[in-house]
Formats: sequence, C-alpha cells, structure tokens
Amino acid sequence: MSVLKDTATVNEEDANLLVLIIDTNPIVWRKSNFSLKEALRHILVFINAHLALKHDNDVAIIASHVGVSKFLYPIPMTHENSDKTIFPNMYQKFRVIDEKVIANMSALFEDVDTPNNYPDKASSMMAGALSMALCYINRITKADEIGHVKSRILIISVSPDSPYQYISIMNCIFSAQKLCIPIDVCKVYGSDTPVFLQQASHITGGKYLKLEMPQGLLQFLMIAFLPDRYNKKYLCLPGEERVDFGAACFCHKKIIDVGYVCSVCLSIFCRPLDECSTCRTRLTLTSVRQNGRVI
Amino acid sequence: MTKIINSNEELIDIDDEAQNANQQIGYAWEEEYKRSWDVLQEDEDGGLKHTVEHLQSRKRKRLERDTSIIKRGIIRHMFLIIDLSEAMLEKDLRPSRLDLTLSYAEQFILEFFDQNPISQLGVIVSKSGVAEKLMGLTGNPMDNINVLKKKNIDTDGEPSLQNALEMARSSLIHVPAHGSREILIIMGSLTSCDPGDINETIDNLVSENIRVSIVGLAAEVQICKLMCKKTKGTYGVVLNEAHFKDLLFEIIPPPPVSIVKSKSELVVMGFPRGVNESMPSLCACHSKPVSGGYICARCNSKICDLPTDCPICELTLVSSPHLARSYHHLFPVANFEEVPWSSAFTTHCYSCQMPFQTQPQVVKGRSNNVTSIDSSGRYNCPKCKKHFCIECDTFIHEVIHNCPGCLSTSENST
Repeated sequence: MSVLKDTATVNEEDANLLVLIIDTNPIVWRKSNFSLKEALRHILVFINAHLALKHDNDVAIIASHVGVSKFLYPIPMTHENSDKTIFPNMYQKFRVIDEKVIANMSALFEDVDTPNNYPDKASSMMAGALSMALCYINRITKADEIGHVKSRILIISVSPDSPYQYISIMNCIFSAQKLCIPIDVCKVYGSDTPVFLQQASHITGGKYLKLEMPQGLLQFLMIAFLPDRYNKKYLCLPGEERVDFGAACFCHKKIIDVGYVCSVCLSIFCRPLDECSTCRTRLTLTSVRQNGRVI
Repeated sequence: MTKIINSNEELIDIDDEAQNANQQIGYAWEEEYKRSWDVLQEDEDGGLKHTVEHLQSRKRKRLERDTSIIKRGIIRHMFLIIDLSEAMLEKDLRPSRLDLTLSYAEQFILEFFDQNPISQLGVIVSKSGVAEKLMGLTGNPMDNINVLKKKNIDTDGEPSLQNALEMARSSLIHVPAHGSREILIIMGSLTSCDPGDINETIDNLVSENIRVSIVGLAAEVQICKLMCKKTKGTYGVVLNEAHFKDLLFEIIPPPPVSIVKSKSELVVMGFPRGVNESMPSLCACHSKPVSGGYICARCNSKICDLPTDCPICELTLVSSPHLARSYHHLFPVANFEEVPWSSAFTTHCYSCQMPFQTQPQVVKGRSNNVTSIDSSGRYNCPKCKKHFCIECDTFIHEVIHNCPGCLSTSENST
C-alpha cells in the first residue's frame, strides 16, 4: 500500500484553507461528559487562531449531522441582513465567522424532524460532509491558478462509523489521496475504533488523534492540528502510527488473513461458497490453479 | 515475410468522411496552422466569460458515461503494445508521435493502476518486424514506467502486428479465467510486416476471449478495424493530441463482461499484516534489506509493497483498501441532467457553495448571444434533485464517485 507522505510542494508563504468537519450528532454528544456547546467554544478559538496565523488563511466549516450534512460557513449571502456595526475591540473577520457559525449551528438544531425521521441515529452523515468538503476544495483550488492555496481537512468526530457509508467514505479517501489533501482526525469521544477515519488519515498522510480528556480539546487542537502543512514537516506530532488494514469477511465480520474473494463484486468470504451472497453469481473455486499454472 | 497492405479502401473512405462530418474536426495532419484566437469571441461587455463557459459545457458532453450497473471485469490482465517503427518519428503530433506516446503511456499506466489496483499490465514493443517483451505481467506501475523511459527506446523499420499479438497471446493464455484478458495497441504505422496470416491470429484471439483495442495515430486501417470488431474491442484514430489522450483513457474503466463467456470464480487472496522492524531484513521480492513491510499470510515471506503476488507461494496479496478502490466501478454515480431555466430557482451550488448566474433578462431584438444563455449552468442529480455547478459535476463523476446530495440527505441513504 503506497501511503502518501504529503509529497506536494508546500511553501512557507502558501495560504492555508482549513476545511473543518464537525460531527454534531446530538445523541452522541449528549452521552459524553463534554457538551457540544463547550466544544464549539473551543473550536471557534481554534478557528480564530488559524485565521490569525496568516492574512490569507481561510476556513470552511461543515456540520455532519444526523440525516443531513450542511455548510455552516461560508454560505453565500441571499440578502444582506447582517448588521454592519463594527466592534473596535474585535477583528471583523473573527466576529463574522463566529456569528455565522453559531447562527447556522442553532438553525441546524432547530430542525428536529430530519434527525428524528432518520433511521440510523447513532452515526452522522460523514460521507456527505467529506464529499462536500472535497468539492469545495476542488473549486477553490481550480480558481486559484498559481497554486497558492493549500488545503487540508480536519474532522472532529464523535459518532461511530456507519457500515452503509463504507464505500462512499473510501471513495472520498481515495479522492483526497489523489488531490494530495491530508485528512486529520480528532476523535473527541467514542470508545469503539472508528476504522474508516483511521484509514482516512493513514492513507492521506494526516494525523489521527484520540483524546483521552475531551475537556482539553482546545489544547490538542492548538498543538496537534494548528500547524499548517509546511510546518508539519518539521514537527513531531502526536498520533497513532500503527494501522491495521485487516480485512473482515462479509459473512461473519471475522478478521481473516487468507480469504476468498468473489471475482465479480469483490466481496470477501472466509470459506468457499457456491453462490456469492452479495451479487448472487454462481461461483467456482479457483484454488487448483494459481497464476495459470495447473498444479 | 509478406506485407499486408490493405485493399479495401472504399470502406475506409466512407468511414473517414462520416467521422469528419459528425465531429467537424479534421485530423491533425490535415490542419494548416492553428489560430486559437479565432475561437474566442467577446460578448457585449468585452468579456470572455460566456465563451469560456460555453467551451466548458461543450467539453462536458463527451464525459457522459455509461452508468448502468453491469458486471465488470475488475481483475484485468492487459498487454500494452507500442509500435516503435519509423512511422513513430513523424511530427504531426507534437513534439513527435513517439514522445507523445511515451508520455501518455506513462500517464495511462499510472491511471490504470489507480483505477484497477488488483490488475496486471505488461509492455510489448514492436520494431523491425519483430516483437520484444519489455515487461511481463506485473502489478507494479513503476516497473512498467521504468522500461518506457526514453533512453531505452529507439525506433527502427516496420512493426509486426502479428508477432506482437502472438507474444501477448502466449502470455495471456495462462491467465486465470476470472480475469479479463486485454491487449491495447498504440499503432503509428499503416503497414505491418507479418510472418503468416494475421487472420488466423485474430481467430485465435477471438477463441481465447482476448479483447484487442487499438489507438491508431495515422489513419484507419481495415485489418485493425476488423480485429477490434471481432474481439469486441474499440478502435479509434486520433485527431489531435487531446483526442489521443481521450482515446487512451477510455480504456481505463474496466470493461463490461458477458456473463456467458467469463467464468465467475472465487479467488483466494491473502491480506497480509504490516510489520515495523527495528533491524532491516531482506525482502523476498527485491532481496534488499528493508525495515518494515508485509508478511505473506501463507508462507511468511516478507514483501515490500502491496498489491502483489507473493514471490514464494504465488498467493495474491492485497489490502482491503485496494479492493475498496474498485467499488466505484460497481456502483457508479448517475449522470446529472442539465436544469432548464424554468426550474433554475437555486442560488448556489449544493456542494461547493458557488453562486449560480441568475437568468439574464432577454432583451427583445437582441438575440445574438444565444449560446451563453441557453444553459443555466446548473446540473441536477436525478436521485436527490440537488443542483450542482459544472465544476462539481465533472469532479463528482471523475474523481469522487459519490453524490454529495444523496449522501447528505436522509431520503436516499438507506
């Protein structure tokens, strides 16, 4: 498996676009002893710090909610309703982003029907949020002709993986790898191993960090996720290195070393079957021949 | 040796004219000189925005692809045959046919392995009447690219289509039946220098289920056309540099398989564990000391990189992401439809938040700029009905293979 080690040429002067995906699953946040409101306060400080690092740094924030994923910032203005009062004690861009994010987040939470009608309440729409993030990055990168903008994705994740999203998340991961966009993952809460996102950070050359103490979110964000792609090359950041790509069979979800793969749909089984349970193709076993030579 | 020069010229002429009439573009060697500025026309304000957008949406047309869910041969075995005859030194494609072919071949190999990670590819060249196998079937793109470096390549004489095909056929004959067998030929010459009857070779190819696709650099050749038709491959003659790339890259998505012919099989594959060692040890594939690598699940030999076949016990070794990389061929995204102005009520692209144009007010008596207002710039997914801009549309279909709309709304996710 060739793993990308951020080989794109990154210069010190480059502008950084940070696309932040916040997992806002209210049910899971409720379970943790650290509220989303508190976390949002930390995240806003982190966003401001990112913007303050360089004049042309930019940020996009996407919420991955139950049953829906949505841009929190930037949202194109449909009509001018924001007041133009300027606080002399606060940098205008900080204030605009803070207000927008909070307003859009509360609008997201006011809509309770969508999450209620969605069957899988334990997970969030991570695949949709990642796809939107990649489309946004693609558009910004295309518009920037001199290659000045370098993008990265940071996921603040709480909820476990949804098996339904496996293929779409993997598609996103491979697109990110192709575009040389590292995906960093900050796992704030959740006991089970979120294998998809771990693979995401491993394949794209990002960092995966699970917080032992969610209360220290801001500190972890500042230390591990604030450095841009240029500076990361010189820093030794915390993160888990070992990732096991152990394959699980489709029939018993057992981790296997040697498996039988359907040549039509690539489903993995732990024992030979007569008919593929995924695509209903009649199968014959090919173990007597290897590489064409009859043994 | 007998030379095959085609006599069925009537057939060729008819096809050529039909193609030119359809596409309105001549071959590169028919053009006199290019005046790229003629294409650009300013609008009333002196801007070029509309022209550029019009060009983009025309470019998009050819990207419509087959999205029906069909069985595809995901595990492919392909030989790339490159003509190295003197005809490749022609400079009608810039910088020369040979240079362009080599650089496109490199891009092709990289993209081929990116999209078909568990497939294998080999390279055969043909010059001065003989064929030479530069690289046997391998799963490593770098092996193939290294043999195609400029310094190893020189041209001579005429190519031999039959010798090259026979060499590829004898190598593909051992490929297990679950994998598809394919040959891709890049051919610059109009003639071939063959030792026997090429029709027998073609019949053998057909009976062994080998698909032959040819990209011709000069003009259509009847025997090539016949061969591609019989073996169910594709045949194209390049018009210009960009069209050459398009023709090559059309081969990259896995071809559909007919269920009757190819046998569906269960393939034994190993999923090796990665190891990190403090002391380097020799790997089984290159016999070089490396620290870290993968351990074959069956015979415990160490290999450097996945996917590969274990050099000791010949077990196919992959990691689960390699299998996942091919899934998008099996579940493609539906083609988006263009949204007419009558239902273009959205203000911005769903996925990238780019504002859409609003409908221009049509001024009576001034309808000279029809091309720029006939498309609303919005494309909607037939499933989730969200509107996307053209940039996202192409990106979604070419790179992500996910519809952000369907994935971020609850209706279609179950």
